[in-house]
Amino acid sequence: MSGWLKRFGLDTLTNRTILLMLIGIGIVHIASLHAYQIALDREAAIASDARLADRVLTIKRAVMRVAPAEREPVAHELSGGPIEAHWSRTDHALPGGPGSAEWESLRTRMQELAPELTRSQIIIGANRKLESDPHLALISVQLPDDSWINVSVFSRLTPPASSHGTVLSTSLMALGVIGFAILLVRWMTRPLQTFAAAAQRLYKSSDQARVPEEGPREVRELAIAFNEMQARIKRLIDDRTHALAAVSHDLKTPITRLRLKTEGLKDASLAASVRADLSEMEEMLDQTLAFLRGERIDEDVRALDLAALVQTLVDDASDAGSDVSFPARPRLVLEGRPLALKRAIGNLIENALKYGERARITLTSDAGHALLVIDDDGPGIPDDQLERAFEPFQRLEQSRNRQTGGFGLGLTIAQTILTGHGGSIVLANREAGGLMVTVTMPLKATPT
Amino acid sequence: MTLPITLSMPSSERQPRILIVDDDGQIRHLLASFLRENGLDVALARDGVDMRAAMTGQGFDLIVLDLMLPGASGLDLCRELRRTSAVPVIMLTAKGDDTDRIVGLEVGADDYLAKPFNPRELLARIKAVLRRSGGVEPAVARQGFAFDSWRVDVLRRELINPEGVLVDVSGGEFDLLLAFLESPNRVLSRDWLLEAARNRTADVFDRSIDVLVSRLRRKIEQGADTAQAPKTEVIKTVRGAGYLFMPKVTRA
Repeated sequence: MSGWLKRFGLDTLTNRTILLMLIGIGIVHIASLHAYQIALDREAAIASDARLADRVLTIKRAVMRVAPAEREPVAHELSGGPIEAHWSRTDHALPGGPGSAEWESLRTRMQELAPELTRSQIIIGANRKLESDPHLALISVQLPDDSWINVSVFSRLTPPASSHGTVLSTSLMALGVIGFAILLVRWMTRPLQTFAAAAQRLYKSSDQARVPEEGPREVRELAIAFNEMQARIKRLIDDRTHALAAVSHDLKTPITRLRLKTEGLKDASLAASVRADLSEMEEMLDQTLAFLRGERIDEDVRALDLAALVQTLVDDASDAGSDVSFPARPRLVLEGRPLALKRAIGNLIENALKYGERARITLTSDAGHALLVIDDDGPGIPDDQLERAFEPFQRLEQSRNRQTGGFGLGLTIAQTILTGHGGSIVLANREAGGLMVTVTMPLKATPT
Repeated sequence: MTLPITLSMPSSERQPRILIVDDDGQIRHLLASFLRENGLDVALARDGVDMRAAMTGQGFDLIVLDLMLPGASGLDLCRELRRTSAVPVIMLTAKGDDTDRIVGLEVGADDYLAKPFNPRELLARIKAVLRRSGGVEPAVARQGFAFDSWRVDVLRRELINPEGVLVDVSGGEFDLLLAFLESPNRVLSRDWLLEAARNRTADVFDRSIDVLVSRLRRKIEQGADTAQAPKTEVIKTVRGAGYLFMPKVTRA
């Protein structure tokens, strides 16, 4: 449904409104034109009968007044147009015949105009002398001296055909309506676009994106509801974040205590193992907080060198004894939040080292984008689970043991941060084995 | 602005006196015994009221101040403290938030450590701050440096290239850079640099100075537009002697 709507350009409110208005105008217009035409035809028929009756009677009266010898020339002279009149001693019209009913109205009309004529003195019908006469009808009117005027009617007197003016006016009206519809719909949908933009902003930043509560009543009500919903969502998120921040704070105090207590442990290996557990707990708290904050990090966007940032992460990993390679490269400037990006890319490198033992990292640029590729030599991820890998608390490795640690937020956080920077992240299994993570980030436009 | 310096110099004969201000009783006492074992003289305070009382009696060489305190917060206390004293302060906070660190440093704390911290790291930082406050530089005049159109923000620990682009450096690299900036145009030995970097953080333990220097050098050389990059070496190796920071350094 929406597929073909889109194909015909009908997925915008403007286009749909225009289409509906055009169909409406078309139907109404055709119906009214039809009704008008019928009325017009009837009027024309009546007018035509009246004129015909008038002319026939005029001929009759003119012929009546002249001497019989003059009658035929006068009748002839008064003929013209669709009428041809002759004077004769006998009537030529044969009553009845096909279509004679149509002429009843003419007879009535003639009797109205000349009340002295009786019904038998007007005969309308076919030519009794000439069956194949192409005339529509022959009207025979009896004169007082029993002679007849026979009037052949070639055609009914029709009014001139309706011009193309109506079509033109219809088209003009349709054009006007389209223009008006575009303006109207633009005007009416502008608040909707504001709402969409506000919703986007709400998603992206911690700031409230209030929409102005103005415009027609429906829009105003929607704006009020939207703002209320927004405030509720913000309150929910804030409550959740605060609750977790509080828990995390409260957990940090006992962790600090435990850290201090390990200093009193005589068994050095036990102390080391307890400290490792504490570090892991701490990392979980940090990841959870990072996940809850998402892109809502209290950090300014600024120009930064991605190459230096990756270099620091790589150096740190290699100092920690990990097998990680990264060919140094000149700066690559983009705009972003340094700590957030560091966390995102750090998570990716950490994953590669955790599951893939070694990480090979390359950073290149292409068409205004930075391309960061992280390869590892691990088992990869089954193809049907690649998308699921980004879901929070999703741990794909079924046989996960304590060594690999973490609890399934690393990729989620990385994706949230990277997409929040207008970037993207794609996971793929390499043919040679291992996972390939490709991160694309828009570079800062160089000022010209 | 001159501050009345009430700081007594830690000498080798006397144990440095540390005041710990934290509302958690266990942490306070565990920390005290840990620091005492490591040769420090420790006094304790639960909150701001306690702290003020402890301060009237005796001078301290350093204060470890928790950010989240009942009543007046650690930030308020630090600000208050700075009006009358230059005693070094290390701020403790539960939030791993960068904003807290910067605000803490801006109100005059000398260093910052996020809870849960490693006690040994706290000890190393206490020692580093004590050594630094031993006279090399007054705590107030350390806002920033500039060299070759590069800027260094000491509070935020940021290196910014001539075009205003942030060039990320590790903690060790930054401390090394600071050591260079404080003594430019002088040949600095590896040992001297290692010592200077260690004075700031406990970060530079086993890493060789040579590795750090080459990493820092690469970041400065590759972190700027090739057109604007300094043509000469920024950090020059002086064979058998150490390293020389070449550019002219200005303090901001």
